[in-house]
This record gives sequence, C-alpha cells and structure tokens, in this order.
Amino acid sequence: MPAIEVRNLSKVFRVSEKEPGLGGAFKSLFRRKFRTVPAVSDVSFDIKEGELVGFLGANGAGKTTTLKMLSGLLHPTTGTASVLGFEPWKRKPAFQKQFSLVMGHRTQLWWEIPAQETFRLNQEIYEIPEADYKRNIDELVDLLELQDCLSIPVKKLSLGQRMKAELAAAILHRPKLLLLDEPTIGLDVVMQKKVRQFILEYNRRYKATVLLTSHNMDDVSELCPRILIIERGRLLYDGALRSVVERYAPFKLMRADFSGDVVTADLERIGKVLENRGPSATLEVPRHDVSAKAAELLSRFPVVDLTIEETPVQEVVRRLFIAGGKSGA
Amino acid sequence: MRKYLHVFSISLQNVLQRRASLLMDRVGGLAAFLAIYFFWSAVLGSKDAFLGYSRAQMLTYVLAMNLLRAFVFTGRGWELVNEISSGKISSYLLRPISYIGYTLSLDMAQKTVHLVSAVLEVAVLVYLVGAPVYVPQRAETWLLFAAATAASSLIFFLLEFMVSSLAFWTSQSGGPLFCFELFLQFAAGTFFPIDVLPAGLQAALRMTPFPYLVFFPINIFLERVSRGEAAKLLLIQGCWLAAIFLATRLVWARGLKSYAAEGG
Repeated sequence: MPAIEVRNLSKVFRVSEKEPGLGGAFKSLFRRKFRTVPAVSDVSFDIKEGELVGFLGANGAGKTTTLKMLSGLLHPTTGTASVLGFEPWKRKPAFQKQFSLVMGHRTQLWWEIPAQETFRLNQEIYEIPEADYKRNIDELVDLLELQDCLSIPVKKLSLGQRMKAELAAAILHRPKLLLLDEPTIGLDVVMQKKVRQFILEYNRRYKATVLLTSHNMDDVSELCPRILIIERGRLLYDGALRSVVERYAPFKLMRADFSGDVVTADLERIGKVLENRGPSATLEVPRHDVSAKAAELLSRFPVVDLTIEETPVQEVVRRLFIAGGKSGA
Repeated sequence: MRKYLHVFSISLQNVLQRRASLLMDRVGGLAAFLAIYFFWSAVLGSKDAFLGYSRAQMLTYVLAMNLLRAFVFTGRGWELVNEISSGKISSYLLRPISYIGYTLSLDMAQKTVHLVSAVLEVAVLVYLVGAPVYVPQRAETWLLFAAATAASSLIFFLLEFMVSSLAFWTSQSGGPLFCFELFLQFAAGTFFPIDVLPAGLQAALRMTPFPYLVFFPINIFLERVSRGEAAKLLLIQGCWLAAIFLATRLVWARGLKSYAAEGG
C-alpha cells in the first residue's frame, strides 16, 4: 500500500470580491459578490513508503493547499486521498499520531517558555512512553545540535535555532510521514544545509516518507530524487528530478568578478554571456561542463570572485510550463 | 486526561512567566473593584440596609464579585479569536488533542492564578478598611455556592468559546466578542446587583443565562434565597449549562467545517 494515494483531488475556494474604494466597501456590506478560485484541480499521484518527494511550483500554485488536504486541515471539494490508510480530513487520533506537518513560517512552539516545555507537552499529547521520549529527544538534540537551545524561552532563539526546535517538536513522536512546507525558508546557507542533512538522515534511518515543498532548488536537488510540479492547481510533471533538470535547466549560471574590465568576445569562449557590466559578468555554462569551464575561466581571466548557481526553481518551472510539460519521465 | 493536566501545568508556568502582564490585569481589575466598593460604601453611608440588602450583604456582594470576576470571567477569548483568524489553530487541529479541552485546561490555569490573586486582594481590603463580611449562617450554603460558581464558570467558558468561534466567519474581527464582553458585565450583575434595576428590565434579564453567572451565585452565598429557591436556581443553571454546551458544540463544529472548506 502506498503511503499517500491521491485521486482526482480538487479544491475550489470561494472568495469575496470588493469593488475598489469606499463605495465598493459600502456595497459589499449589503451584497457581497463571490468568485470561485480553483486552487487544486484534478490532481492524482502515489507516494511509496520511504520515498522522498519534492513538491514544486510558483507561489499560489496549490502546493500548500494540497499539503493541507493531505494533513486533514482542508476538505477537498472533490476527489479522494488516502494517507497512511486514513482519510485525512476525518482527523482520527490514530492518523495524527503517525504524521507531522511542519510549516516554515508557522510555529507550534510556546513562545514565552523554553522549547523543552513544548516537547514535554507533545510527549503527553502524542502519548509517548517515557523511555521512548528520552531516547528520541537525546537523538534529536544530538542530530540537530540543540543542546544550547533547550532551556531558553523560544522568543529568544534565532530563526535557525527555532526551526531546528520546530523540527524536533514535530518529530518527537517519530512520524512515519513528514509533510514539510518550506522547511528552509529564511535560513542562512549553513543552517539550510543542516536542516537538509537532518531530513535525509531521518528519512534513511526510519524509512519515513517525506513530501516537501520548497522554493529553494538546493533543497530539492540534494534531497528529492522524484519531484511533482504543480502549476495553477494542475499537476504538470511527476517523475525524476534528473530528467527535468537535464531538459529544462541544462545550464548553470557562473557569476564572476574580475580585477579589471574583460572583453565580452573573450568571455564567449567560456560560455554564453548573459551580462557583462564592467568588472563583473554572468555566463551560462552547460551543466556537465561546469568544472572544466570554471577552471578555464580562472586560469585565463583575472578572477577575483566566482560563484556557480543553479537555475532557480521558478525558472525551471516556467520553462516546463512554456513547453507544456507532460507526466512521467 | 493526563495531557490536559500537562497543558494546565505548562500554562500555569506561562502565566507566571508573564508576570508584568498578570500584574497589569490585576491592577486594572482592582481599580474597578475599589471604585465600586467605595461607591457602595458611600451610598450606604450610615444606613443599615438599602434596597433590601443589609450593609454587610451589599459590601460582601462587591467583595464576592471580585472573586467571581477572577474565577468566572477570566478566559482567553481574544487569544482564541486571534488563533482562529491567524490560522495558528491549525497546529492544534493537526495533533491528537481536543481543542475545547485544551482551551479549558489553559483557562483553568489562568483562573487559578487570578483567583489566588483576588482572594489576596479581598483579604487585604477587609483587613485595611475593616469591610464587613457576611458569613453564611447555614452550612450547606457553602456547598450550594461552590456548585453554582463551578457551573457559572463553565457557562462563561462555553459562552466565550462560542462567541469567539464566530471568528471563523467574521475573519480578522473580534467584534462579536467585544459586544459580548461589554453586555455580559452589565447583565451578569458585575457592577451592581440586578435587583436594583427597573422591574421590567430585571424580568427580561432573568430570562437570560447571564444572572446565573454572578448575581444568583452571590445571592445564594448571601442567603437571600431560601434553600428550596437555591436548589431551583441551581437546576435552571444546570439547564442553561446543558443548552449552552450543545449550542457551543454546534457552532464549533460548523466553524471547523467552514474552516476546512475555506482554509486558514
């Protein structure tokens, strides 16, 4: 049985509309106009137990709405979903004890008191036996390097520390399924990496199923062999990350700062020049050639600084969208 | 059950952690309490009785009112409204815990702290100005009063919970809760016993659950009603409690349904 089974899931929101200005506000006091907005349309997919899947799409594409349906916060308008064998929106405690939803910009921690109090509270809420609690908390503190954050009021923690504490609170009951909505949002590069390592470790150690949304291509490329791409509520792509990247992001971006001006024509030998403004330039280089080209650039030009970047997710999605995208790879 | 006890204990810590906010709350309440106390003290002057209340009964009414305000009218309606309109409530809906039970445990912790503080305030006032205290003559009065107070505390909790749940529909707004709180203080008999009001208004108020929150419990304590009448009042209060419980459950279930349909 798959961990998640989604069939023809759709969600339509009804939103009220107001004409601009005071007159509009007055009108809407008496007669409110409603408009229906399809947030998710006819989405179907399966996720196997232990799989790590990335869920991509632009803002408002329907990712969070889908996660909310899978976690039982939202009723779908039509369609069905089975998560760990349960219908999520019935919110059965037996189901709730087996999964966690972490939203990067929301917190379940108590703000005024130390995180360990929320951990204790979750121990009671999830009815975790004392021995298991001790073992899990020790492991989490170790993995997430939480030693210093446990006894400080949550509001005094840095964003990165808070996110780690958030993850610990969500994982204390050792869920079989993790739904992560933007787990690295707002974190610095080092902290992002730690959070990713942790997610990977958790997935491997406990065969946990993970479905995560992110704007951050690194999250996806380091964690998720398989991705789902959603655009305007429709599932555009379901398949291996590798094939999407090779097809729609065949280049990486090289940004270089030089100690003096460099002639564009010379740079063209390295890769396609997107921009050359005085001492800094941006080049597009084929993905498989990146290291050779970087070496060449460094040896031939007076490079002061060099960064190599992935094509942003939005850009990949945009290209896929323009190409019309189809399921399966 | 254990989980709710734990919520109670963690919430107690939280209330104590926010000492400044607790202190402000108490000082604010204390100002109103003292004003009302000295107002009645002046009105009574040297009179022994007023509107059917003996001097001790009237001043005890005010003292008891301070205790009941702390124990009955302490709730977290505004936080509830806030959690609903900001969507923070989601994080509870995802966990295996009943939100009503969770809120009740939080409330109980707050009520405990406020009650302790109110008892101290009253004790200090009695000691300082030698306020006359009416002590019940019949032993069973204490029991009847405790039962009435417990029920009134639950009625307030449910009413506030119900009114706050309207935030599911009136997104971003605590309007209903605001009106409710304003009206409640008056209708429950917090500022003065409702039997000083004109007969018509009084009769109308008696048809509502509000006098059962403060006015009737204190009347039971002051033994202004007979044993039989007290039992009758408790029975009616019980009926109100049951009716409000059912109504609250209905509103809450509807609210959750609309939340699940429209999302937060």
